[in-house]
Amino acid sequence: MESLFLQQTLNGLIVGSVYSLIAIGLTMVFGVMKISNFAHGDYAMVGAYVAVFVLAWIPGWLGWVGSVIAAAAAVGLLGIITERIVFRPLMTRWTDIDTIMVSIGLFILLENLAQLFFGATPRMLEDPFSGRVVDLGVVSTSMLRILCFGFSAVTIVLLQIFLNRTRVGVAIQATSQNRFAAQLMGININFVYTITFAVGAALAGIGGVLYGTLFAVYPLMGAMPTLKAFVVTILGGMGNIRGAIFGGFILGVAEVLGGNYIAMEFKNAIGFFIIILVLLVKPTGLFGQKEGT
Amino acid sequence: MNKYTRKWLFRVLVLAVLALLPQVIQARYFLHLVVMAGIFTILTLSWNLLAGYTGLLNLGHAAFYGIGAYTSSLLAMLLGISPWIGLFAGGLTAAFFGFLLGFPALRLSGPYLAITTIGFAEILRMVAINWVDLTRGSLGLSGIPLLTPIRLGALNIKFYFERDYYYVVLAAVLVTLFCVRRLTQSEFGVSLQALRDDELGAQSVGINTARYKIAVFTISAFFAGFAGALFAHYIRLVSPEMMALHTTFDTLTMAMIGGLGTMAGPILGAVVITFLSEWLRYVEDLFKVDIRLVIYGLMLILTILFMREGIAGLLRELANKLESSRLGRKKESEP
Amino acid sequence: MTEILRVEGLAKMFGGLCAVSDVSFNLNHKEIVGLIGPNGAGKTTLINLISGAIQPTRGRILFNGRDISKAKAHEVNNLGIARTFQVVRIFGKLTVLENVLAGLVDRRSKGPWHLAKDAIFGPAGALVEDREACRRAEELLEFVGISRYRKELAENLPYALTKRLEIARAMATAPKLLLLDEPSSGLNPAELMGQIALINEINRRDVSILIIEHVMKVIMDISHRLIVLDYGEKIAEGVPKEVCSNPKVIDAYLGGGANAAH
Repeated sequence: MESLFLQQTLNGLIVGSVYSLIAIGLTMVFGVMKISNFAHGDYAMVGAYVAVFVLAWIPGWLGWVGSVIAAAAAVGLLGIITERIVFRPLMTRWTDIDTIMVSIGLFILLENLAQLFFGATPRMLEDPFSGRVVDLGVVSTSMLRILCFGFSAVTIVLLQIFLNRTRVGVAIQATSQNRFAAQLMGININFVYTITFAVGAALAGIGGVLYGTLFAVYPLMGAMPTLKAFVVTILGGMGNIRGAIFGGFILGVAEVLGGNYIAMEFKNAIGFFIIILVLLVKPTGLFGQKEGT
Repeated sequence: MNKYTRKWLFRVLVLAVLALLPQVIQARYFLHLVVMAGIFTILTLSWNLLAGYTGLLNLGHAAFYGIGAYTSSLLAMLLGISPWIGLFAGGLTAAFFGFLLGFPALRLSGPYLAITTIGFAEILRMVAINWVDLTRGSLGLSGIPLLTPIRLGALNIKFYFERDYYYVVLAAVLVTLFCVRRLTQSEFGVSLQALRDDELGAQSVGINTARYKIAVFTISAFFAGFAGALFAHYIRLVSPEMMALHTTFDTLTMAMIGGLGTMAGPILGAVVITFLSEWLRYVEDLFKVDIRLVIYGLMLILTILFMREGIAGLLRELANKLESSRLGRKKESEP
Repeated sequence: MTEILRVEGLAKMFGGLCAVSDVSFNLNHKEIVGLIGPNGAGKTTLINLISGAIQPTRGRILFNGRDISKAKAHEVNNLGIARTFQVVRIFGKLTVLENVLAGLVDRRSKGPWHLAKDAIFGPAGALVEDREACRRAEELLEFVGISRYRKELAENLPYALTKRLEIARAMATAPKLLLLDEPSSGLNPAELMGQIALINEINRRDVSILIIEHVMKVIMDISHRLIVLDYGEKIAEGVPKEVCSNPKVIDAYLGGGANAAH
């Protein structure tokens, strides 16, 4: 029994790492631009489709790695485009409802464009390790899952380095904390916005490849990652990257354990249960702070 | 002819046209579309009350719609209760859930409120899918009774054809319009809008924002539930999909494109989208492409970016321009 | 002189920060009391405490003998205290007239359900067609001098006029005590004269006033008494002339702020 518990926890952590990755992108964009992007999960979906095509071209683990990089680049670009065209114009006359609604429009547009171009049939991303399983003593998992986890971890570490050790990264953090002061310090706000969005989208793109690897790839797959990313972001506090990392793991484990020990059918609703409970007690999330006026 | 008389003449005219419509255009499919547009109008009006007038973004609104539908259907199918009563029972049950949802809404705003309301709807949808004994799960309920005939003396009014439901839905839309209009233009309405524009400012003039939020959630949910019950006894099939996120997105799209925070907006939005939907379905069949939702997404984005006040706003601007040019010409023609 | 407001040992902590510390004073019927002090002294926090926008950490607030320390903002307003905000909080998408109408609604006896019921089942007519309500609203707009903007959307109003709108709206709630938070900021010298006259006129109508102001010209002119805060504590209280020659007050201003001599 015990090893089943540990096994499930491991699975949860692996899935959770993907949630974290996608959520970080969302929380970054919120922290810097105060935009809640409901289309965020669709960035993941696009990333997953990029992987589908790259893998069709270059199979095996080389293709897989290549697809992650390609997804990051392609979705990053998509992020820049959507930021410029859809979100930037709203920054001046911005109200919560406007940005959320326009992102919903973007969400509907992207997922149905995908359906239009790629068809509704789900695709599977080929396992570059052909299902090889690794035994870690008490628990075991597939090579593929370890790779996913590894990629998430590496990406998160790289992101932390980027945010803390590079000029652009520090500028992003500064803007997130105090937009006005950052401008006064000479930071080019528009550039920061674009970069933040690009990085956020790219992270989602990478997360999408991982998500698609663990589950399946289909046009409507963006909805779940969007909602889960929001759950994680709220758990961790909107704008709080560290919170998003923890939140992702918490959600991943909670889902797997809840699914197994309570009810499988409500697995996806567990996140919502948790969120509603948390928000009832703390309206700004577990680690969130009140936003400045 | 003064403005007042003109207004009432216009209304009587519109009413006459609406009343005679099914006699003139008898195509069943057309009438079906109008009935659906009517049901969506009620749903959109109710959502607009929350979002447009009170500034509360309820992305779980479809849950009220579904609750109304299921309640009325189950009452009719399990307890033999008349669908006419079911309509109101559905509305009241939804209103109860609206009341409940009002509480988390008190302290939440923006994305936090959005996610909580989505969560609320998703949880209910999963309950509907999994409580198979009661709801027949994903299959949904079918064979829901039609609206029962009404006896008026010697007359026996049956409700079977689209034309019959047309009149029912027309009446329902008019009553909903009446209520929402009265609400939004009254002291209640101005208080809601004050709350929307500045919550702290509203509190400073004595508005108990918490109670207002709960009140508007309850009222809005009632109408949404009523619409759901109407749907149930018309289409005679309900499923958990009614509570899906994309139903709320449809409602939201109609409200936005029609014009948020106006009375005409939801009507325009619902009618335009319903008919556009059909036309696009025809185009889709013709060219074998799934573009309907792509167009919705695009329309939603474009509306928010360029036509924030929706079709209603556009028409109002047009009316203003006509009015000012008319005054201009009048001035010019004066010696 | 009957006492209308009494503040006893009021304190407010935000986390570790003490914004208001052991402040006590009273305000009498028909008095105009000025609240001054350098930036960050806790003046707005004090107003927020009295108006119920935030709850005190310690101490009591008594209004006409009634303890309102724990009362919420809307309750405080219904009891007879109105306020304006440092950064104006008007209802942007409503017209100027509707902003005042919102304040005129009798909320002491009618909650949302009552009003909703009235709306649907009561006599016909939109709020803006209610002759009596509009007459009273017009009166208030006339009083502050923005009648001609009655049909404008509040968000289109120039800044100085929005401050007057807020005052009209606050007066609409028929307060016995009016809390003004920097009503003169952003006004030019000509407008200041009008502002002084307006506040005096409000006072003449039996409304007691507690006013935060940085513009010395206004506050010296209209206040019967001054209270000085610095770092959350009351450091002086008395007639304007007295207070201004108080060395502690001069020190507080020269030490941090800059607005003293006028």
